[in-house]
Amino acid sequence: MKKNFNTYLVALILMSLFLGCTSSPKKETNFYDLEVEKFSSSVKLLLTDLEFLKKEILKVNANKPSVQRILIEADDKWMEEDLKKASSALERGLRIAKDESALYLRLAHLRLEQGLIKESSAFAERGLLNKNASSWELLLLKIYSAQK
Amino acid sequence: MKLSLKLITYLSLIIFSVISIAYVSILDSKVVNKLDGVLWTVPAKVYARPLELAEGGKINVDVLKKELEILSYELTKGIPDTPGEFSQSQRSVNIFIRGFGSQEPGLYRLKIENDKIDSIKRKDGISIDLIQLEPLSIGGMFPSHLQDRILLNFSQVPKDLEEMILVVEDRNFYSHKGISLRSIMRAFIKNTRALGIEEGGSTITQQLAKSLFFSPEQTIKRKIKEAIAALLIEIHYSKQEILLAYINDVFIAQSGRRAIHGFGLASQFFFGTDLKNLSLDQKALLVGMLKGPSLYSPINNPDRAKTRRDLVLSLIKNDSLITEEEYLDLKGRSLKVIPPSFKSLSKYPAFNDIVTLDLRKNFDDSDLRTKGLKIITNLDPVVQDYLEESIKDTKLQLKRRYGSQLNGLEGAGIVIDSFSGEVVAAIGSTKPNNYGFNRAINAVRPIGSLVKPFIYLSALQHYSKYNLSTLLDDSKLSVSLPGGKLWEPNNFDKKFHGNIPLHVALSESYNVATTRLGMDLGYSVVQETFTKLGIKKKIPKYPSIFVGSFEMTPLEAIQAYQTIASEGFYSPLNSIRTVESSEDVLSLSYPYKVEQRFRPEPIYLLKFVLKQTFISGTARGFSSRVIEKWKTGGKTGTSDDQRDSWFVGYAGNYLMVVWLGFDDNRKSPLTGRTGALQVWKNFMSRLDPIAYEVRKPSRIRYEWVDTKDGLLSGERCKGSILIPFVEGTEPEMIPQNRKKCRISEESYTAKVLNKIKEAIEVK
Repeated sequence: MKKNFNTYLVALILMSLFLGCTSSPKKETNFYDLEVEKFSSSVKLLLTDLEFLKKEILKVNANKPSVQRILIEADDKWMEEDLKKASSALERGLRIAKDESALYLRLAHLRLEQGLIKESSAFAERGLLNKNASSWELLLLKIYSAQK
Repeated sequence: MKLSLKLITYLSLIIFSVISIAYVSILDSKVVNKLDGVLWTVPAKVYARPLELAEGGKINVDVLKKELEILSYELTKGIPDTPGEFSQSQRSVNIFIRGFGSQEPGLYRLKIENDKIDSIKRKDGISIDLIQLEPLSIGGMFPSHLQDRILLNFSQVPKDLEEMILVVEDRNFYSHKGISLRSIMRAFIKNTRALGIEEGGSTITQQLAKSLFFSPEQTIKRKIKEAIAALLIEIHYSKQEILLAYINDVFIAQSGRRAIHGFGLASQFFFGTDLKNLSLDQKALLVGMLKGPSLYSPINNPDRAKTRRDLVLSLIKNDSLITEEEYLDLKGRSLKVIPPSFKSLSKYPAFNDIVTLDLRKNFDDSDLRTKGLKIITNLDPVVQDYLEESIKDTKLQLKRRYGSQLNGLEGAGIVIDSFSGEVVAAIGSTKPNNYGFNRAINAVRPIGSLVKPFIYLSALQHYSKYNLSTLLDDSKLSVSLPGGKLWEPNNFDKKFHGNIPLHVALSESYNVATTRLGMDLGYSVVQETFTKLGIKKKIPKYPSIFVGSFEMTPLEAIQAYQTIASEGFYSPLNSIRTVESSEDVLSLSYPYKVEQRFRPEPIYLLKFVLKQTFISGTARGFSSRVIEKWKTGGKTGTSDDQRDSWFVGYAGNYLMVVWLGFDDNRKSPLTGRTGALQVWKNFMSRLDPIAYEVRKPSRIRYEWVDTKDGLLSGERCKGSILIPFVEGTEPEMIPQNRKKCRISEESYTAKVLNKIKEAIEVK
């Protein structure tokens, strides 16, 4: 029930954004511009259900096969609740490629689980500077960056 | 008389027995202590980072070749067939990896195009997405006895090595009780027949006792002590424990002051790989060396070492451990040992100092010297080599130009990954391999104009008051100091420039305009920026601080610039990646720490100007292609009377600080541009880094403005420049005479069309 609610919530935010964008013909859709704060109550709701968010994060794949392999390794460690090793693996991924949103998203969530809210937000903000991030990835990153 | 003789005899026997028992007891306790404790005090080993080669990852082929060269890989023609070889064809590099940790040894083919790894394939054609080269061993934390070893447990000892040792050194190991009369007799007969020493009579247990307690002198007395100790060892320990202790403890080589003990370290030392990856001929070489590590050293006496290795191979063939065919194949192989990777205890003293500083935060000295920790640092050996070569080359060039004025010129340099704060290379002298005063971490010097970006960053955070075209006053300035004295700053060109836009004041590094700006902002605002940049010192409250009397070490300076280079994200500098115990268990990891200290917009504006430094400012002279490829930016710094020459600049993900000057603080002919920048340029040209694209902050808009008055201008107007503004802070005014050149016919038409389009869409 909660999962369905969250799915609807994400869909609602996306729809609102889409409608918002269509009403302003001058601008292209750019989720980087998105003022998530405007949806603060909805975002806060999403942030209270970390399990739901985590499931969404784990669906985000890397573009490079080498980084994808590292993601699998990190996700396995994460599932085993070995946050230290999961984090090490993700950082190893960042050394290989700094343009993979999947890494920033996982690090943002992982730091949140480690209780490091400022760092979680900082990883999300860094991810937002990634030129290759998709709109969906940018939206998810915005949610984490809005914790500040 | 008779009685007294008998008494004396009895007494002598009693005394002898007491002394003997006491001696044996002392020796017994020594045996237990040594084998249970001291032997297993293993020094920490320090490694560079392992180079990861990933499909889709970026790599410069020259950098890869340099890494292989540093790791002593041999360039061959054709396809490499032995670990430690590589070859290069037009668009591919073939590497026969030696193997390290979980990375299997084997042949891999890398296809590289446009600085990107397109594919990695194994010998059998199967695609691999990620491989790892073994990390370079760069030093250790040694106890006073300077013995070094890698401890192995029994499962890590290859069975064929164990069999080989027993065949060569002690065939009856599992049947004797520490000493073997049969072995002594057999050796005696064999040596008499051969008219020389071909086989020793000592058992492995005796050899272990000898290496643990006694000097190498050959006397009857010592042989007896050795035999007693061997018997005691056999009483206390199982055969397997004794063999393992021998494999871990036996002395195999000397490297400078460092003694190489045990097969685990010998494998790394001679072949650059784990023991499990060695071939039979390589193991035979090591076993052959046991007879005389110096005499049969493959480095000093390769012919003798090969003869001895072949003898070992023939012995195991005679024991049917290998076939005749295998024997002939193994015998035909060359020795192929790698040159020692470091001769002194540490090849990179300045970097090692930084590692030690970081380690001391978590480990005490005895942990480092005894617990066999494996420390993986962030050192990039290629970057380190380029840094060393750059400072040496540049010093030579400068000396040719300035002559004896530069006698005794010193320097320091640090390179970090600006994204993570990882320290990847450091030198503390213009003679980088010398121990001594490490200027990278200890030289506290005035930073000159390196301070200016911090002042301008303080201003640019206040969007409403300052943007890049805000006019700053660069006319003559007199500041009254406490005590009634006047301080009058001057510019480097000894001229005043009146009102100039902020971006010009910074890229041209004008002192007077910067001092006024700092004073307008106030010390507390500037202090806040310093703190956010990670500068721990409090700024003194006098105005010369705004133009460079502030003092820092190169390490502190690079930390402050890390946040700027990294888009406003602060990461504390760190030289260590992980610390593992000898069992390959992760003891401590040093995770990425990231904190957003500045919004992206002011950093974007500042970085725009720091890029201008390369286009038209004090670091000009680079091609626009290079500036774009490297996404570069930086700042020169020169202190009063040119006593300090500084440069800090980023290119790709690398940020580098360079300082040049004299230890006695005398004047030099060098400015930041003519000195430190030249080292930076030499270094970056070798490295030719690859940059990642970063998204422009959404609130940034570009506008054409005039370079003199900062007001709106146009692409076709003379003296105009396209510069970034935070949305809503762009200048609004456009002088009458620029209206024509600002709006070209083409853009005017485009504007009208846009208006019509907008009107239709709204309807």
